Amino acid sequence: MTDAAYSPAHPRRHASWLSAEPRLAATGIVLALSLAATLPALMLDTRLFQGENVWIKPVKFQVALAVYLFTLTFFARFLPEGMTARRTYRAFSWLVVFAIVAEMVWIGGAAMLQTASHFNTSSPLMEALYGLMGVFAVTLTAMSLVYAIAIWRNPASGLAPATRLSIALGLGLTFVLTVIAAGTLSMQGGHFIGTPQTGAALPLMGWSGEVGDLRVAHFFATHALHFLPLAGLAATWALPQRAALRATWAASLAFTAFVAFTYAQALMGLPLIPLG
Amino acid sequence: MTPETLFSLSGPLAMLGWLALALSPLAPRAAQWVSALVIPALLSVAYAALILIGWPSAEGGFDSLANVMALFTSPWVALAGWLHYLAFDVFVGAWEVRTARREGIAHALVLPCLLLTFLFGPAGFALFLAIRAARHFAFPPQQEA
Repeated sequence: MTDAAYSPAHPRRHASWLSAEPRLAATGIVLALSLAATLPALMLDTRLFQGENVWIKPVKFQVALAVYLFTLTFFARFLPEGMTARRTYRAFSWLVVFAIVAEMVWIGGAAMLQTASHFNTSSPLMEALYGLMGVFAVTLTAMSLVYAIAIWRNPASGLAPATRLSIALGLGLTFVLTVIAAGTLSMQGGHFIGTPQTGAALPLMGWSGEVGDLRVAHFFATHALHFLPLAGLAATWALPQRAALRATWAASLAFTAFVAFTYAQALMGLPLIPLG
Repeated sequence: MTPETLFSLSGPLAMLGWLALALSPLAPRAAQWVSALVIPALLSVAYAALILIGWPSAEGGFDSLANVMALFTSPWVALAGWLHYLAFDVFVGAWEVRTARREGIAHALVLPCLLLTFLFGPAGFALFLAIRAARHFAFPPQQEA
């Protein structure tokens, strides 16, 4: 039995940037496409969880994880030649894909059932799942550390030294700072630190405008892999090589200090931007 | 034969088709015969018979949601509707397996699609299409067979 009508009419198109790491790219595409189901759910579902539409959280994670996957895919071209074909790499890559899919099923499933995913200790099963998902979260974030080290050590990346340094530092800091911020977050009972919690929040991001919110530090920590390469690229364009390298190190220190500031601010119970 | 008896027979029959699809790498051609032909055909013939029996006396119609819901208050028509799901879902599952095989999609990736198609028909079909689209765009060109 053949279904000629449904098969692609043309041979596969030329290799795109996505084929530098097709497993991660394909997972990112599936996650992005899955928004086609959760965005209508967000608009049609009237159920709330902790004062917000139940689908807000899955949508945030779908977007964030898809962006993460596409970012890693983009940086994969700077990995040492042949690294993505190695057996150990392929196994780890599949593990990361599995961890991301498991996180999404867990977060989406909890939303569907109008219950908590993170911080859910209501039953032994949910508590065990929360712990397991913590392990998966560290696993999937560790991919950025693997990339950081491999790109750091790859003299044949074809990149200017400061650009390569900024990519390696950005990826490495994403892992280190995220594990600290998200690890601290997971040891609390919830996102917020302090009182009074009336629900005042910043638009779009949903961060508290009245008390400490560790998701702020988590957000900036995780985006080190975007901010620092942009800084390194700017330094490469604007400065001679040695100065560009120094500027990249300085930018990394400044960015780390900023994340530390938002982290300390949340722990002291203060909002990033006070509202009202 | 009551609608309840037929209902309790239809479940295991459909399950057999899904089992054949899950194990299809062992016997791909046999699985297609079972799940794309024999089982959907049996369910479809049973469906046709149920419509012949139940349709004349059924309330409702297709023109409003309330009328569609009223149709399903007849046990014969509701059972027919159920067989409709079972027949088409397993047929779609067989198509997923066949398409994946032709395009070199790993069976491990098809299994979640089959599970979702079995439970929530179109959702599993949509997942399969998403995986297929992702592969098409992410993987480097391959020699066409």
